[in-house]
Amino acid sequence: MKTSFFDRRQLAIPYFIYLVLFVVMPLLVVLYYGVTDGEGHLSFYNFTAFFTNSKTMGTLVYSLIIAVTVTLICLVLAYPVAYILAKGQYARKHSFLMVFVLPMWINFTLRITALKEILTLLEGNLAYHPFMNTVICMVYDFLPFMVMPLFNALTKLDKSMIEAGHDLGATFWQVLLRVILPLSIPGIISGVTMVFLPAMTNYVVLDMVYNSTYIMGSLIGSYFNSYDWNNGSIISAILLMLIGFFTIFTDKIISGKEDKA
Amino acid sequence: MNKTSCRMGRMCGFLTIILFAALLSGCDKADSDTVTLRICNWEEYIDEGDWDEDEAIELDDGTRIIGQNSLVEDFEEWYFETYGVRVKVEYSTFGTNEELYNQITIGDVYDLVCPSEYMIMKMMREGMLEPYSEDFSDAGKAGNYYSKGVSPYIRGVFDNLSINGERLDKYAAGYMWGTLGIVYNPDEITDEEAKHWNILLNKDYYRRITIKDSVRDAYFAAIAIDYFDEITDPVIKNSPDYNRRLSEMLNRTDPDTVKEVEEILIRAKDNVYSFETDSGKADMVTGKVIANEQWSGDAVYTLDQAEEDGFMLRYSAPEEGTNLWFDGWVMLKAGISEDAAKKQAAEAFVNFLSRPENAVRNMYYIGYTSVISGGDSDVIFDYINYNYAAEDEEDAVGYDDIGYFFEDDSEDANEKYTVITTKDQTKRQLYAQYPPKSVVDRSVVMACFDDESNERINRSWTNVRCFDLKKLFGRK
Repeated sequence: MKTSFFDRRQLAIPYFIYLVLFVVMPLLVVLYYGVTDGEGHLSFYNFTAFFTNSKTMGTLVYSLIIAVTVTLICLVLAYPVAYILAKGQYARKHSFLMVFVLPMWINFTLRITALKEILTLLEGNLAYHPFMNTVICMVYDFLPFMVMPLFNALTKLDKSMIEAGHDLGATFWQVLLRVILPLSIPGIISGVTMVFLPAMTNYVVLDMVYNSTYIMGSLIGSYFNSYDWNNGSIISAILLMLIGFFTIFTDKIISGKEDKA
Repeated sequence: MNKTSCRMGRMCGFLTIILFAALLSGCDKADSDTVTLRICNWEEYIDEGDWDEDEAIELDDGTRIIGQNSLVEDFEEWYFETYGVRVKVEYSTFGTNEELYNQITIGDVYDLVCPSEYMIMKMMREGMLEPYSEDFSDAGKAGNYYSKGVSPYIRGVFDNLSINGERLDKYAAGYMWGTLGIVYNPDEITDEEAKHWNILLNKDYYRRITIKDSVRDAYFAAIAIDYFDEITDPVIKNSPDYNRRLSEMLNRTDPDTVKEVEEILIRAKDNVYSFETDSGKADMVTGKVIANEQWSGDAVYTLDQAEEDGFMLRYSAPEEGTNLWFDGWVMLKAGISEDAAKKQAAEAFVNFLSRPENAVRNMYYIGYTSVISGGDSDVIFDYINYNYAAEDEEDAVGYDDIGYFFEDDSEDANEKYTVITTKDQTKRQLYAQYPPKSVVDRSVVMACFDDESNERINRSWTNVRCFDLKKLFGRK
């Protein structure tokens, strides 16, 4: 028994090395730059400057608006699809799922280039609606990341729970809202996390659809371009902290739910 | 391993890289006689060979130029034949000046790189550069193609630039040069309108014009709009030191100017199609936009592409002034590290690229204009004729204001270097590649700003690009 436990620990070593070298170390470097000024002295000026500048805060707000909109649309679009695929009586449900994930096999800049042409045909001039186009392209890009976790969560959902709900006289909506939805929350949360952060930072999409307003990703990039590593790093760190809080917060919800169950 | 001195803070950052490099370096041992030359150049900025047989350039005097192998391979071969030493070029590329600078500061080591003028000046200021040897500037010496062939005009531009009392030409050798202007569709925009930078603010072309997504390029266009009255004042226009005064004006970075530029750029942002990093060329060709702020070299490329699709675009270097830019080869101290053989190879590489035939190969391949005018050789001028000479005599005109590029005394040279071309070409590729004297007279080099000004401009740029919270609450 003891030897096998030891073996399993050894299996984790490659990943551990990977984690230290490529996740922890770079993060420490980012943090180091974030809390120092150009001369290497400890300084929280950049940190406070971010929250007191109306333009950088504006960028945060603008990114949040985009990210929330994209995430909500993805959720609304993906949920029914995932549900039908997971619970329907299809012989080849995994093949159907493939169809939804298929676009991911093609590089996203290529897909957006194609979508751009379609949107140009529909709208005439893309530059008239930069916000709308950004949202459309991001939804298109991130939808599979929402479908997959929802599908997994809903497949695991015990069918007898739904049947029990119906047997006890609940309507379709009551079952959906009080049985299915609460049970699929872990799937919703992982879907949301997978869409939300990229939507806040993926500025390549904005560049491609001619949206000239910065989001968090482009703001960070602009600081690195002007050799201001300290400011760029602290903004990355702030973004990371926001996501960290978000994850801890949602973790609490999930574990709270599991405790109740 | 490498002896780069670097700040402690950055050490831990690439500790990981060093660790891996150390693991890998065991298997990479070249034999000791071979000189390794690490070159970093812009993407797609050198002839990579592989031309079709029918692409061969046949000049009037019988010279036949074709790129079979890449210039880098040809250099390795030429160097061995000439000096009996094997040189191995490790060639890599970069996308922006800032990217190159960041790469170097985190510890990438190159021997020879090709940044733009302001980055050369920044690197000079920071003491990163290795000076060229005395020998390199000796035009009398065989093999010194750069000193022999560089245009007297470009030489003059270099002479006027200095950092901390040291002249630019001590550290840099030019490669390509050009102007900043506007590519436009003459069916939609008149020649007159395209002659002014304020076309970017023209409401008639709402969301139909792009501007470069680069602080410096946007700043230049906006400052020219800002100082329009002063620039076009006849007193200044006709003053003997017009160019010097223009240069002073367009290089201003005081807080008031930066603020005014910021306001102009915010207006431009609300009017233009987009700030583009690289999509402008394609969007011009597909007709998504009707005008585009563009570097002359990319303008030539855009015009060529559109021509293949059957429509004719034009290029204009606006009346208020244009940004004279150039890219140049500089050697890095950290890379050369006092290795004489390496330095010799690096200088030879620059000279090899400066052979008129090789300059033509590069120009054909990438569309930019070489700083080489050829010296005693007529190859460059013949190449211009090969490209642009009018076939039909009926609408032919003499393009006769480019003598300055070839000889010091431009008055006499103008006659000798007159291109008989079509009227159209005087507004198209020929004009973009070899601007007339009237254009270079109003061109200024945009200096490398000091740190304080840079910070001010970058902050202002962030203001232009960021979402204004006040907008959300309906306040103006």
